Amino acid sequence: MAENKTANRILLVEDEFNIAKLFQYNLTKAGYEVTVGTNGREGYEIAEKIMPDLIISDVMMPEMDGYEFRKKLLTNVELKKIPFIFLTAKGEEDDILQGYDLEIEDYIIKTSSPKVVLAKVAAILKTLEKERSKVVDEVQKAADTMGVRVVPDEFPKFEGFEISHWHQPHKNVPGGDFIDYIKIDDDNLVVVLGDTMGKRWGAWYFAIAYAGYVRSATRFVLESTKEYKPSDVLHKVNESVFKDERISEVFITLSVIIIDRKNKILKYSGAGDLPLFYKSSSGVQSFISKGLLLGFSHSGEYEDHELQLESGNELFLVTDGITEARNSAGEMYREEGFIEFLSKVDTSEDTLEQIKKELFDYTAGEFEDDVSVIKIKAL
Amino acid sequence: MGIIEEVIDDVLVEIINIERATIREAEYLKEKITPKINAGYIKVIVDLSAVEFLDSTFLGVIVGTLKKVVKQGGDLKLVGFKPPVRSMFELTRLFRVFETYPELQDAIKSFHK
Repeated sequence: MAENKTANRILLVEDEFNIAKLFQYNLTKAGYEVTVGTNGREGYEIAEKIMPDLIISDVMMPEMDGYEFRKKLLTNVELKKIPFIFLTAKGEEDDILQGYDLEIEDYIIKTSSPKVVLAKVAAILKTLEKERSKVVDEVQKAADTMGVRVVPDEFPKFEGFEISHWHQPHKNVPGGDFIDYIKIDDDNLVVVLGDTMGKRWGAWYFAIAYAGYVRSATRFVLESTKEYKPSDVLHKVNESVFKDERISEVFITLSVIIIDRKNKILKYSGAGDLPLFYKSSSGVQSFISKGLLLGFSHSGEYEDHELQLESGNELFLVTDGITEARNSAGEMYREEGFIEFLSKVDTSEDTLEQIKKELFDYTAGEFEDDVSVIKIKAL
Repeated sequence: MGIIEEVIDDVLVEIINIERATIREAEYLKEKITPKINAGYIKVIVDLSAVEFLDSTFLGVIVGTLKKVVKQGGDLKLVGFKPPVRSMFELTRLFRVFETYPELQDAIKSFHK
């Protein structure tokens, strides 16, 4: 069966077969993914494995009852965060109060109609989503106020080239991908694509720090030489990052391109990144850099690839949000999928728009990571 | 969450019994492994035999742990790659920095050479 990526996962722990069956039927019908455990011990094992969005548990059960089950969940830093509902046959005050002492969200009387049960479940999940959105909104506002950007709003203007990007943050929360364009002089432009390991705000915070590092390293390196080499930029960033204890556990992949407009030469160097994809009249090629993730080893071993461009050639830098995008059957798009698509794409139309459409069609708009693509076209 | 921890002699073994190891599992692994390393376990094995996919966050925790233990004279070795996981390590060039073994026993033995 196709995997539904958006369905909320509910763990139902109930020893009475008929009641479990009834609840499972109603919840599944309402679109939830339901897993059933028959006692607290089994429930705990399942919770560890599937990390549900909500747990509904009976109180009286053999082996480990609902209270013990709840107490056990509270000892686990991850599992205690999952909202918990008691299912009770009695509806007696003591029963319910004991439940609230155990930090539960709500309780449901077993004999409640399916409508009441579904309404309660939906309300709890909705409240959690609302809280999350509120926090995201606030941080987003703060970031906007500070003018912090990890992806430029505008594409660079660079004569003889058309440069554009598509960036889609995961669930619209800024994440670890960052893009930068640094104009060295009228003839040379640096294009940067980075991906900080991690997701959402944590990664976003480091993405900002890294984008700053890359900018200052680029300036430092390029001001001290006439020969512009992206590998020099990577060596410099890596050296700083490697020494910086504050970010010693943060790793990043980075692609750096320097375009020489006059000679139509493009130099590329990468650190643990995905290949550079190159589409010309002879087909699609990919260039894989040897460089290691930034901040991992002192040397990094970065080297340059040089390409002589001709009019109409297109190049693409991407992050793993593209290659690891999944369809409804859970299959990954992969690098091969991207190359196959590029080989068929019509370059007389905007390629980036076509890539966007392809990915939206493939994933049905359900992205699981930041998605970033930079397109460079020689005119 | 399907991460089984064992200590065999002085080797810390984390068996990742999960098909898709992503951000949630990454945080969990980090919470498990960090106090152990702080307590002096610097020989670590991460068994990925059951893993079909790991995302960059999970990979980040493995790489971060490797960096930490290497600094203290230890090592982190990996066991059992399924093809998609292997290709991820190849793609990020991390193959060069990890010692990998097909079986857990081989990895444990390698620490006792």
